[in-house]
Amino acid sequence: MSSSSQQGQADPDSLAGIIEVDQDLHLWKLPRGRHGLPRELVARSQRERLIAAVVRVTAEKGYRATSVADILKAAGVGRESFYRYFENKEDCFLAANDVLIDDLEAAVADAYDQPRPWPARVRGGLVATLDWLAGNPDITRVMMIEMGTVGPVAILRFRQTFHRFTAMLEDGEQLSEEAPDLLTNRASIAGGAVFARVYEEVAIGNIENLPQLQPQLTFELLLPYIGEEAAAIERDAANEELDRRNSAQ
Amino acid sequence: MEREAGSARQSNVLTPSVPRDIGARAQRQRILDAMAIVVAEKTFSAATIADIVGQASISRATFYKHFADKRECFDAAAKSFVGELSDTAIGAQSSAESRPDAIRQAIAAVLEQLAAKPSYANLVLINAPILEPGIVTDHRELAVEGLKAQWGAGKGGKWAGADARIAFGRAHVLIADYLAGDRADELPELQPEISYVMLLPFVGNEEALAQARSAQ
Repeated sequence: MSSSSQQGQADPDSLAGIIEVDQDLHLWKLPRGRHGLPRELVARSQRERLIAAVVRVTAEKGYRATSVADILKAAGVGRESFYRYFENKEDCFLAANDVLIDDLEAAVADAYDQPRPWPARVRGGLVATLDWLAGNPDITRVMMIEMGTVGPVAILRFRQTFHRFTAMLEDGEQLSEEAPDLLTNRASIAGGAVFARVYEEVAIGNIENLPQLQPQLTFELLLPYIGEEAAAIERDAANEELDRRNSAQ
Repeated sequence: MEREAGSARQSNVLTPSVPRDIGARAQRQRILDAMAIVVAEKTFSAATIADIVGQASISRATFYKHFADKRECFDAAAKSFVGELSDTAIGAQSSAESRPDAIRQAIAAVLEQLAAKPSYANLVLINAPILEPGIVTDHRELAVEGLKAQWGAGKGGKWAGADARIAFGRAHVLIADYLAGDRADELPELQPEISYVMLLPFVGNEEALAQARSAQ
């Protein structure tokens, strides 16, 4: 119990819980804000533990079967603290989803915002997406499959997330002389191919293999913007990169 | 009991068993309609039998006379609407002047039907895949078989490598996006773009754009 005083208000048992949870869920990648007062530090970590716990428990039991009590137990956090941060289970789950989407978006934006020709940037963003999802299979299943069972608010949130990602494609609008009046939903049409294929693979439990879709989905993402020939050039580059990666493993 | 027997005798004069049958079918249809409304509002997981019987203004016992549980009712609602969509698509092609025209007509008719019944559209396109992702495969087969039958397999040599999952997937995501965004009434305006995405893997970008343009 001597380490208890060393760590302020956190007891060693729940601290071990944080580390274990963090490793399970790759939460160390999450952006961390300023850590001011010790109380704030503890508060943030309690919230983060609850967020990590709701994802872990949902991955194990499914969203509907998960109770607030399950989340508290997995997080090592008291009921009163839970309701300081969240209204209910749904609120907690959606907060977790937001944190994870922010993390995914940051990874994708990093890869996309490179000084390269636009098709290569799109491929970079796609690779980052597929790698992130494949690297976090439990989280991916929770965010894509379990998310659908949460309720109407989650479906709206899901839709907003889709548009957050397809909005990145808008840069390509300048490149495509073709039919801006005809394809008014071009970004959704492009991104829809990725979403539909990824969702299908996730649904059948094929999450680890998502990066293998890189060449085909590069082509499908670019096709509505730059046409077949140019999209095929980027697909060939994707194939080469994938071959290199596969043979390196 | 007396009155019921009396009215039964009365209707016997005209058509003996049909009215009772129509009554049961109308009741079943009312339950399916209620299911669609409740599911579109709350999603399948949150919908309760109480919600459905309340929406349909029937008793719980009546619900269980028609369906064993919520899921069976949901499946029946989905099946009935998919059947309607399929019939709509087939019917729309009968007056078409050419194959591309038939595809455009079918897409236009399906979009009109989805716009006219947004709750059922939501049930089939948003809730059914959540409940059972495999169902997308069945719906896709229906749509793609129809397309192939019209366009002709092997045309332009593009069929072999064409990925129908992409065509249907793009259309599905775009339509579901409009439904979730409360834009069901705008669905008919998507006809050119849905024509484009459905034809894209099969005829190539240029031809798909040309077809979409004629749909405009």
